[in-house]
Amino acid sequence: MYTKHFMAQSPRIRIDAASGIPAVRQIVDSLRVLLVESQLIPGTMLPSVRRVAVELGVHFNTVAEAYRQLAAEGWLDLKHGRGAMVVPRVAPVVANEARNDDLRHRLRGLVAQLRAEGVSTASIAEELRAMAKVVTRS
Amino acid sequence: MRLILCTIYIFIGVLVFATPNMSRRELLFAVPVPPDFRQSRAGQHAIRMFRLVIVIVVAAAAGALLLSPARLLGVTAAVAQIAIVLAGVISFRWQNHALASAAVQFARPREAEMSVAPDNLPWFAWLAGGPFVILSAAATWLYLHWDRIPARFPVHFGADGQPNRWAERTIKGVYGPLFFGAEICAWVVIMALAGWFGSRRSHSRPVMLGGAIAIEYMLGILFALIAVQPLAGIPIWVIMLSPMAILIPLIIVMTRKMSEPWEPMDPTPNECWKANVFYYNPNDAALFVEKRDGLGYTFNFANRWSWALLLSLALVIASVPFVLA
Repeated sequence: MYTKHFMAQSPRIRIDAASGIPAVRQIVDSLRVLLVESQLIPGTMLPSVRRVAVELGVHFNTVAEAYRQLAAEGWLDLKHGRGAMVVPRVAPVVANEARNDDLRHRLRGLVAQLRAEGVSTASIAEELRAMAKVVTRS
Repeated sequence: MRLILCTIYIFIGVLVFATPNMSRRELLFAVPVPPDFRQSRAGQHAIRMFRLVIVIVVAAAAGALLLSPARLLGVTAAVAQIAIVLAGVISFRWQNHALASAAVQFARPREAEMSVAPDNLPWFAWLAGGPFVILSAAATWLYLHWDRIPARFPVHFGADGQPNRWAERTIKGVYGPLFFGAEICAWVVIMALAGWFGSRRSHSRPVMLGGAIAIEYMLGILFALIAVQPLAGIPIWVIMLSPMAILIPLIIVMTRKMSEPWEPMDPTPNECWKANVFYYNPNDAALFVEKRDGLGYTFNFANRWSWALLLSLALVIASVPFVLA
């Protein structure tokens, strides 16, 4: 009975303390993935800061800061005492050229980081191709 | 009485002896190690040395209890008890220190469910009310047979089995053990609830809640037996040995449950464990985390609620002179 309850699949975020990336950034990035992929849709209430902090083994302030950053990006509405709610968001309009430059810059940074961590170029290329297919479909 | 004391001390000795088995496979003497480390030469050597010390001290304590002159039995019993506990602590710490170089850091990502589904207690949580029913039933029985309770009855016994403290048939004298039992049981329930809501979701959590409820029953039954003893004439040895009837199966069941390979150990940072026993991590919001020196959970001492819970225990203990005759 407990297993059923415990294993019930709902959107999850994950952080890796050994990754060297600040916890707040990992939480923001994980949540943003769920928001972009519509796994968390407008109107969804997010769990309390306390619950998420206990589960992830981080300080309350870390989760609160992550929620604030996502609220500043327009993903969440933080109403005092009522928790965090996902709200409809309109992506900001950015010139195509500037956006492509930014994307290229970030991808290069990510690829360099992965190569520095020992991931083979073949694996990186394969993952990027798979990602391109997912992005094209969505 | 000597034989009863010997039985209890040997039982405690067996528990201490079994300590290395009463933890996850990834822990040995509170040191985080690879799961197969126990079978290595170093692991087996550490277990053997720990147990050798315990066997020697328990055998010496039992021998001293059996051979001690009657007038020194009380002192011998106290010294033997302290010696067994001290031997366990020192030997554990010794092996903990010896294995420090084999320590590894558990590293796995943590996950959080982004759902507001309530964190419901398991179905068996209502059983926590049982000990209060037992204590209330004992109180009712005593009330109904008030006139049959002796005007003066023993409430404390020396190591020689003879009573050395008495109580009178008053509200405090008769119902005191029940009040105190209810206090202790309430504290255990509060701890169990704090453990449920203040720790990470895991398969160990319901096991620990069940364990806490079983301990609550042990205490409830123990204090109910103590309270009805003057009227029912229950032999003292029955009262003294009654906790074992719950403790032994509880330890066996919990050891088996906790040893099942459900999920890896919670990756709490090694540097936040003081002597691998006390957890202090201000950056972890959890109030309870899986302990490293045995079965169950322990406080995150950086969380101020842990101190509030310890203070509440101190208050329960401080209430003894006011509650018990």
